[in-house]
This record gives sequence, C-alpha cells and structure tokens, in this order.
Amino acid sequence: MSLISRRPRPPAAAAEPQERATFKSPVLPWLFLLPTFIILAVFLYYPAVRTLRLSLYRANIILGNETFEGLGQFAELLSSPVYHQVILQTLIYCALVVMLGLLLAMGLAWLASRPIAGAKFYRLMLIYPYALSPAIAGTIWLFLFNPEIGVINNVLSSLIGVRPRWLDNPLLAFGLVVLAAIWKGLGYNVVFYLAAIQNIPGEVSEAAAIDGATGWQAYWKVIFPLLSPMTFFLVFTNLIYALFDSFGLVDILTRGGPVYGQTGITTFLIYQLYEDGFRNFKTGVAAAEAVLMLIMVGVITVMQFRYGNRRVHYGA
Amino acid sequence: MKRLMLMLALGSGLQTAAAQTTIEFWHSFGDAKRGDWIKARADEYNKAHPGVTVVPSYKGAYNDSLQATILAARQNKAPALVQIFEVGSQLALDSGMFQPVSSVKGVDFGDYIKPVINYYTINGKVNSLPFNSSSPVLYYNKDLMTKAGLSAATPPTTFGGVLRACAKIKVALPDTKCMSLALYGWFVEQWMSEQNALLFNNSNGRAGRATATTLNGAAGKKIFQFFKDLQDKGYLTNTGKLADTDGTNAIFSNQRAVFTINSTADLGNQIAAAKTAGFQLGVSVLPIPDGTARNGVVIGGASLWIPKNLSKPQAEAALDFALYMTNTKNMADWHKLTGYYPVRNTSITALRGQGWFTSSPLQITAFNQLLATKSNPASAGALNGVAIQTRTLMEQGLQKVTGGQGVDAVLSDTANQINAALTDYNKNFK
Repeated sequence: MSLISRRPRPPAAAAEPQERATFKSPVLPWLFLLPTFIILAVFLYYPAVRTLRLSLYRANIILGNETFEGLGQFAELLSSPVYHQVILQTLIYCALVVMLGLLLAMGLAWLASRPIAGAKFYRLMLIYPYALSPAIAGTIWLFLFNPEIGVINNVLSSLIGVRPRWLDNPLLAFGLVVLAAIWKGLGYNVVFYLAAIQNIPGEVSEAAAIDGATGWQAYWKVIFPLLSPMTFFLVFTNLIYALFDSFGLVDILTRGGPVYGQTGITTFLIYQLYEDGFRNFKTGVAAAEAVLMLIMVGVITVMQFRYGNRRVHYGA
Repeated sequence: MKRLMLMLALGSGLQTAAAQTTIEFWHSFGDAKRGDWIKARADEYNKAHPGVTVVPSYKGAYNDSLQATILAARQNKAPALVQIFEVGSQLALDSGMFQPVSSVKGVDFGDYIKPVINYYTINGKVNSLPFNSSSPVLYYNKDLMTKAGLSAATPPTTFGGVLRACAKIKVALPDTKCMSLALYGWFVEQWMSEQNALLFNNSNGRAGRATATTLNGAAGKKIFQFFKDLQDKGYLTNTGKLADTDGTNAIFSNQRAVFTINSTADLGNQIAAAKTAGFQLGVSVLPIPDGTARNGVVIGGASLWIPKNLSKPQAEAALDFALYMTNTKNMADWHKLTGYYPVRNTSITALRGQGWFTSSPLQITAFNQLLATKSNPASAGALNGVAIQTRTLMEQGLQKVTGGQGVDAVLSDTANQINAALTDYNKNFK
C-alpha cells in the first residue's frame, strides 16, 4: 500500500502557520467569514435555538399556546414504545440504505468507468434518478408497484403467477422503500465515485495488472481502499439523506405504513416528526423530536470521525 | 343577463363600502380544472365590483394552507377568505383566529342544504360558508356485473348485499376482485352517521368539547367487521397504502374490480375514466350495514372561513364574494364540472329545470343520498381537535383487521389511541 501513498495529507496543525501568514490582520478572515455567519445565524442557528426552546413547551401551532413542560416531552417520547419502534426501524433503514447504496454505487461506477462501448450512455442513465424529485420518484414507484394494475405485478403474475402485496406486507413495504431510496440516491453516489475513480492514477491499476491481480482482486485490494476518502464523505451525506430526505418518498409511497407492531413500519423519525408537527400540529413534540434527531446526528458524526477515519486511506 | 342582474343585485349594497379593497382568497385546489374555475369567478366578480379585487391563490394542501393562514393571522397578514377542510373545523375554531360568517353581516342561510349547513353550524352560529361538499357513493362496473350474472339495475345497497354479490363475482370472474376499497377513515365517519351513531361523546363534540370516542361500540364493530369479511373472503383489494383512493380508483378504472367506493367529487373523473376504458359506469348509494335505517351521510369537503381582525369592508367584501361564488348558478356549474354537491336547494331546482338529472342520471344518486339525510348530531359530523389524527388511527385499525387481527381487540386499541390523542389535545385548554 505504501506504493500509492505518494501525497500524505498534512495534519491540521501544520497548516496553521501558513494561514496566519496569508492574513496579516486577524480581523480580515473574520470579515470574510461574516456573510456566511450571517446566513448561518439567520437560517440555521436562530431556528435551531428556537427549536431547542420550543421542545421544552407544550405547543400547538394552530392554537398558538405554549405551556412550559421542561423535559417532559423528551421523557414521554423516550418512554414511548411507538417512538422506540420508530428509532429502531430508522436505524435499520439508514444502515441498509447507506451500506447497500454505497456498495452498489461503487460497483456500478467502477463498471461504468471501464473503457467499454456506450460508457457515456450508462453513466448518464445511472445519474438520471438523481434528477427526479422525491415526489415524482415516489409516484413512479407507486404506479409500478400497484398490486392490481402495476407493471411489476403484471409481469410477475404472467411469469410466475404471483401478485405480491408490496404496500401492505410489512416486510415487502419496508424493502420497497429501502430499494426506492437506494435507487433515488444512486445517481448522486455514482457521480462522486466516478469522479474519484477517474482521479485514481492509471499506473496503480496497471501495476496491479502487471503483478497478476485479477479484475476482482484489483477492485477490492486497490480501487476500494483508494476510494475510502470518498466513501467516508459519502457515508456521511448518505446518512443525512436517509435520515432526512426519506420524507418525500415515504409520504408518497407508503404514508408511513403499513402498520406493524406499534406503528407503520416505514414511519421513520423524520416522517414521525412531520406527522406530529405538520399533520397533527403538535409543534412542541415535533420540536423535541427534531432535537433528538440533532443529537443522534451529532453522535453519529462524532463516532464516524473518531472510528471511521482510521480506515480512511488518503492515498490518491 | 340573469347572471348580470344577480351580480348587480349582490354587489349594489357593497359598492360604496368596499372601495379599493383587496381580498386575498387562499384555497387548496392546485389542479387546473377547479383552480381555474375559482379564478374565473373572481375575475367576473372583480369586473362587476370595481372597488374590490379578489385575488385567489393556491396555498397548498388543506393542512398547509390552514397552518399558513394561522401564521399569517398572527402577523396581521391574514387572507380575507380561506378554504378549510371539514376535519380542520375544530382546530380553526380553537385557534380563535376566525369570526363566524353569520356575524359578518346578516345572511339568509335558508337556501343551503340542511345537512351541509349543519356541519358548519357550531354553537348555533354558522361559522363558515359551505363550498365544496361531497359524500361517498358506490361506483360499479355494469359490464362486469352483467358478466358475473348480477343485475346491473340493482346494485347492492347493504354490506350483506355487497358480500353476496362478491361471492357470485368470485365464482364467475376469478381474476377480478369484487371491491376496490381504500382503508380510509372518512368512510368510517360516513358509516357511523348512516347508522345514526356518534363518533364522539358530547353529541359528536357539538354539545361540549369531545372527551372520548364512541367508535368502540356496535356500530363501529359492524364497519370493521365488513372490512374483515371482505378481506377474509378474498373480495377486497386496494394498493395497501392508507387512504389511497387514487389507487383504488385506478384499480376500478382498469376493470380489475367490479365495485369501488369513493367521493361524489370524483364523479367527473370516474365518468371520463370509464369512457376511456370502455365500460358502462353505474353509481349507487353508499351500501350500509344490514338492518339499519339509513340515517344519511356526513358532508365531506371544505368550507370558506373569514378571519378576525379584518376591516369591516374587507370582511364584508370577502363574504360577498364567497356568496357570489356559491350562488345558485355558480354552484350548479361547479357541480356539473366536478361532481361536488351544489350546496343550495335552488341550485338543485335549477339543475332539475335544465333536465340535468335526466341527461346525466348518474348524478341523481348522490343528491338523493344527501337530501334524504336526517338532521341529527350523528349526521352533523364529529367535531374535535384531533379529527385528522383520528382518521389515521382508524385507518391503521382497519389495516390491522384486514391484516388478520380480531375486530374487538383492534377496535378497543384504536379507541384507546384516539382517546389518548384527544386527552392530549384537550390539555391545551386547561
């Protein structure tokens, strides 16, 4: 592996003197940062602080009332079996979407980057789902998987004589949403992996080929590690995607259903938040859920940087 | 000419009072058919009333537009007229942001169809003006019925009748499902009303704030049992997504099912779809539990609300426009275009005079069902702050039942969940 680590990334501390040298006045960098800070403050920090405050109050946005509850709403959420199930299924969903999605994207990007006829066409087609809005993607899937008149079941029924109940069998519905989310995110991941693959110097693969590595070996032993910085980045963006962007797809495709155990099996944290906050107008509870999600993302991020970073190989 | 006279008559009283008044009208019809109809009525009104500008705009689905209105009202930027769905009525009332339309100025509500105006009459006051109103009916495929050896002239009118028809269909047409029926809470509300059963205590939340559901009784049991029977015998189909009437419509239009139940507001689309698919469409009354005296339907749809804190000319102009949009002629047109009920008795008379019911006989079913509705708390509909959540909970209950769980246990669970939601909501008022 030492062969490929030609340009080790300098540690953060080493970069500091150089930066100081660029800005003579300590005010100047802050001045440049100011516009960003203003935007962050207005659109991110202020609403976040308000959300934090709201999470301590019983509030209904339509009634406009606020009663201080302290941490009562958090306690209620964290002791609710419904919320437990929602957390559990969100974690499983996220893990599946991130892992399967990235593996698939990496493989497809690798194949599409091979010098084959029509590679450009394949690349374009792979990126295409990303251009669809979640609502449209959801509608397409809903049509495809209509148990009576959907294309999928028409084909399945004429081939093997089955008509699976895609949207009310809990396992199938869960799998379907996972699949749809992976498909929807595929384009984004493929673009980044394609870029990363194209940045891998050709000599590396050549060297592997000369050393007698098979295509499979070259992929797993050379390309896969070289892609790890990109994977590190994508794991994070995909996690955010799975946690927050699942809303549109779920709302159109399953509306959080079908019910299994305590609640709908595709009711993920963000959908539960939407239901509570925007369908049932329980604004305080929704704020508490938002805070819990923020904490979750924070914990995952810290964990990822602490443990995930060790496996990242900044070689290329 | 008649329309012009009417407009003049309506407008004359306000012309001076409403000088240079802008009326923002927020509605939830994003589709061209209904959105354009509203726009056209606003244009007519503006032309006839130089001092008033009505600006209709689509503000997203009912939920979103309700929330947008409340937030705007808190900043004193409320629209002068808002369309709010029936299950949002108690929320709108509790928000304290609206005034009863009957207190804006004196209006004779005598022409409004009784069950419609009843829904929106709260504490003796007409809170909002009925606009788009509908109820569910049975749609059936005449060709498939004939093929199955059933008489297309006498569609089933009871749960038992549906089940018997389904039994024949299953034998005669093994590849076709009998009933394309969405798991939709609105239907449960309707079937409670048909049995003259309340959905909530305190006279459906109309005599006082509702504190508990009465779903878990004999009437509710019959409804849930019907879904279970349909499912267990293999008669039922839908997409599996809750409240997905688009999905059940598509299944029906593609002739994969003989029956479907859906809103009268969908009649226009159903007729068009049947024509495209090439089958004879039938429309009949909502089938109800056996041995039940038909009490009638709860009106569904939305009404027009006027916020507080408007200037007097603004509030009056808003109501005046709302009355113009829902006048006799316009409501008859609206009905022809969409299938929604014209909410006025005179509109029905006008339609009858035009021979509309003989040229479009499918429409009459819906009317008879509504006009025969008895006026009582059950058919006035349930008022409560968690009506939206209640629908979802009932739908999840139906899904549990069709998924194989027992009716009694599910009903009791569902009732407990609704009660918990209700208790939680009512805490806002302590």
